[in-house]
Amino acid sequence: MPATGAPRVNSLALLILPSALLFALFFFLPIGLMAVMSVLTGNPVVMPHVSFTAKHYARIGNDSYYLEVIWTTLRIGLWTTIVALVIGYPLAHWMARIRSRSGHALLLMAVLAPMLTGIVVRTFAWMTLLSDKGVINQVLAALGLISTPLQLMYNESGIIIGLVHIYVPFMVLTLTGVIGRIDERLEQAAENLGASPWRAFLEVTLPLSLPGILAGSLLVFALAISAYVTPILLGGFQIMTLPILIYQQISANFNVGFAAALGMVLLAISLMLVIAYNHVLGLFSGQRELQ
Amino acid sequence: MPSPASPPPSQLTASIELAISTGLRRRAAPRGWGRRLYLAANIAVLVFLLAPIAIVIVFALNPTPFIQFPPVGLSLRWFEKFFASRDFMQALVFSLEVAAMTTLAATVLGASAALAISRGNLPGSRLIVATMLSPLMLPAILTGLALFQSYVLLDVGRPLWGLVAGHTLVTIPYVVRTTLAVLHNFDVRLEEAAQNLGASPTRTFFEVTLPLVKPGVLAGAIFAFIVSFDQFPVSLFLVAPGRETLPITLFNYLKFDLDGTIGAASIVSILLAFLVVIALDRTVGLRSYVKL
Repeated sequence: MPATGAPRVNSLALLILPSALLFALFFFLPIGLMAVMSVLTGNPVVMPHVSFTAKHYARIGNDSYYLEVIWTTLRIGLWTTIVALVIGYPLAHWMARIRSRSGHALLLMAVLAPMLTGIVVRTFAWMTLLSDKGVINQVLAALGLISTPLQLMYNESGIIIGLVHIYVPFMVLTLTGVIGRIDERLEQAAENLGASPWRAFLEVTLPLSLPGILAGSLLVFALAISAYVTPILLGGFQIMTLPILIYQQISANFNVGFAAALGMVLLAISLMLVIAYNHVLGLFSGQRELQ
Repeated sequence: MPSPASPPPSQLTASIELAISTGLRRRAAPRGWGRRLYLAANIAVLVFLLAPIAIVIVFALNPTPFIQFPPVGLSLRWFEKFFASRDFMQALVFSLEVAAMTTLAATVLGASAALAISRGNLPGSRLIVATMLSPLMLPAILTGLALFQSYVLLDVGRPLWGLVAGHTLVTIPYVVRTTLAVLHNFDVRLEEAAQNLGASPTRTFFEVTLPLVKPGVLAGAIFAFIVSFDQFPVSLFLVAPGRETLPITLFNYLKFDLDGTIGAASIVSILLAFLVVIALDRTVGLRSYVKL
């Protein structure tokens, strides 16, 4: 081992090369090619004369249909994030503050168990629950509460329910980490000074957990806007989101250039979210060092 | 761990560790109706999280071909249908093959990269780590699309190595992360002690460094296997027709049929994931290292 004070590149550094090669050939090159394809008039392999064009981007910007698709995607992402935060926060708080060790282990298992079940399977589970002849409608009809089945899926709320179920564990785990780091004595001090538990939460714990709320929300939003399986199955092929549109351009229309342009739009949104996420995490690790 | 689109975040393993460690703290609980409301809300969320999984199990064992609630009996017909279906069996075997190849590639490449980052004194190591973790942060559907377009441009079709390369890309971050975590926490003086006692750098590496990083590498390998086995968005673009992975086959089946076969398939795949974890535990003694 070299002395820690004098960093010199040694032979172990060569072990990075296989991964570097994989990333260069199968990640950066393809994404670069996608960027190039998005500004070409056609596929240069099959067509002899291709030139640069902005037509794919112009098509997205000029057609209200595509702008509507992008807006639908963002709207579903936003609602998923809000619901995941509202239902995930209390659970994360409970996990961070529960007294019994086995209780904590059980909660952790309950949060992790859905993550071990694949996305297709979980979407199937929601279809069996939400469809016209699904569990919820059958139970409500049997209780005499409804005469015609409620429309629970094939709409945006069905998609949001499914997405929240898939991504709320990410929110809970992110929040649990942050809430767990907040010194409980701060809450206790507030309560000893006469604040109600609710007020101590609102004025002490909630503001201190803000970095976790931001990080978890950005994460869930980024995951929700790139989802494919859940929106297509719970939307019943009726609701168009950006990932569905991208795959449709490839599988049905063979319009590789337009798919690439749509991909670049999704990439741009995702990169902004990644930068924001890293910025929030940077703030939050700075705060940790201060403690 | 899902995948996919499970691009579960780089923070995840760290969050799980923290979640576990915070469970050790103790405090007096507030009482009253506020507390009851808090518990009721949390129990409702737990029901929301777990009910769909219970439903999958119920429908896998439910005898009727359509969804009926409450269930009228117990039957293994959906398991029979699943195991008798050539499509499902081919997809299951293919998924296991792809996941095995992916796990091998991601573990070797990811662990090597983590060693290089942690011990090679590379310049710009923060940027390298961010790059290695980036497939988690970008939508996997974009990785699939970009690879698909490249394969079309290069006119290579949809080869198996292309699919495995895509899976390796989205699973490598898990191995890098778990291996780096172990390397970060480990006492460099152990390596120095071995060398002071006369071991060559090579011998130190194989007899001290490698055994100590094994738990991190294994945890990463398990993540890689589960993520590859459940991977959807990358496979969607890269599988060749007639040679599909299990999640893709299940998805195509779901478009037309909504019977218990999917439930049976899910139970089989969850059990398989557990079997892999147990097999790894038996062969390399996981339990003594990974406290999860």
